[in-house]
Amino acid sequence: MNVADIAGDFRAFGAAARKDWRILRRYPGSFISFIFWPIALPLAFVFQAQAFAGGREDTAAAFAARTGTNEIAGFLFVGWSAYMWLSLILWGPGTSLRTEQIRGSLEAIFMTPASRLVILFGPAVSHLIWAAWIFVVVGLALWIGFGVTIGPFEALRASAVILVATPALYAIGALFAAVVLRFGDVHALVQGVRGLFTAVCGMSFPIIVLPDWGQTLALALPPTYLIADLGAVLLAGTELGRIIGDLAILTGMGVVLALLAVFAFKRTERHARRGGRLAQY
Amino acid sequence: MLGHDVVRDARAIRRRLGAVLSGERSLYWKLTARENLEYFAALYHMPPNETATRISEILEAVHLAERADDYVEKFSTGMRQRLVLARALLPAPALLLLDEPTVGLDPQAARDLRERVLQVRDEGRTVVLTTHYMEEADQLCDRIAIVDHGRIVALDTPAGLKRSLKATEVVRLELDAPAATDAALVERVAAGGTVTHRDCENGSLHLTVHCDSARELVPLVIDVARTVSAEVRNIAVQPISLEDVFISLTGRALRE
Repeated sequence: MNVADIAGDFRAFGAAARKDWRILRRYPGSFISFIFWPIALPLAFVFQAQAFAGGREDTAAAFAARTGTNEIAGFLFVGWSAYMWLSLILWGPGTSLRTEQIRGSLEAIFMTPASRLVILFGPAVSHLIWAAWIFVVVGLALWIGFGVTIGPFEALRASAVILVATPALYAIGALFAAVVLRFGDVHALVQGVRGLFTAVCGMSFPIIVLPDWGQTLALALPPTYLIADLGAVLLAGTELGRIIGDLAILTGMGVVLALLAVFAFKRTERHARRGGRLAQY
Repeated sequence: MLGHDVVRDARAIRRRLGAVLSGERSLYWKLTARENLEYFAALYHMPPNETATRISEILEAVHLAERADDYVEKFSTGMRQRLVLARALLPAPALLLLDEPTVGLDPQAARDLRERVLQVRDEGRTVVLTTHYMEEADQLCDRIAIVDHGRIVALDTPAGLKRSLKATEVVRLELDAPAATDAALVERVAAGGTVTHRDCENGSLHLTVHCDSARELVPLVIDVARTVSAEVRNIAVQPISLEDVFISLTGRALRE
């Protein structure tokens, strides 16, 4: 691959993101759901937590001891906003591939000289806009509804955590895309994995409440570190240096998962191309 | 292909390849025609300073310049198919693959598209076209490969393929004949040509005969019919077509 190819792939990457963003904003109804859900989903858990705590100080103290923050609403809003972003990423590459396959454009795209990885991740870049939108809505909801303010330094540290976690999460998305090319559908698998993440990664509870095997499982999954570290930097004011171990683990997971994803995607893409499955759905 | 190894130099080949594969549904209907082409121009690594001009030229060539900024969802099927062709022509490909490009088009749109394909051929590009429409293949192709169960069973010019049948005309006969005389009737008709198809339907005998001259075969058929007390119900004469070649080579009717 020469410099011209790399430059061409960068432009193609931007064009893929721009194309998806253009299509997305021509369905304005989707904007409403992205205002409603980032508030409604965590809010329901906040009310549930308040009901269970019964307004007692000892239960609030127990929560603070286990999570490192006494901001129950903040903890739940951060956890669920991370979940919504995760869902976008997990669905992103696989779904965009599947959509192209159903539309009939996948073969035409694969006939161009653009890299497969550009096609895979370009559309997913537009999801970053939605992710930023979710985090802004959540920040505003926390500030207006619960008086929880997030300062610019906390936001910067959270951005760093997100940046470090991104390769691992997009790699998982790419693995789903490989499944799409091999088996044609990914919904059941994504639902299963999303359920697993919800159950053990600590979106609405600290993982310390899980049984030992659950904690072991949680520590093997990248979202656990993302959610815990986001909570730590945003709500407890933790410096990045204090979570450097977590960030190193996330980086390592990112490298391993990315290599695995590239290998799996190339294998399945070749299989699909030779078997004429690119246009089948 | 095009001087490149298809496995090792796949990118180099794809750079010089245009394709019409899945028809109109392969477009982005919520984008305009121009936006669709802009996306593919980037995928084809087209230099940004050439993109706008190239897109305008291509849209002009397929008569869509005036609708360039309309959403594709507002286009007719024929317009969408022209846009798919425009997308395939965007990289000025040396090789153009067309997979049943006129399926689903009304006769006017299909004719228009075929004219565009002929223009592309006249520009010196190689066009590989798959079709089930034999008339289309006859009209557009310099060489035709007939593929049966994934294997090429014949490869020649349209005229060469027709010559391979060693006949110039097809005569289709419908006769009412006593059942006992069928075999004798067919045997005597075969003296004037090759009986390629025979079946009985509603008491009528239907024969398809390939021959060199219908002018000689038809009087023979009428004589034979008279001698076995059969009645000639219908006679149709057509020149040999590619469809006859296809059926002769594959032993099957089209679209089975």
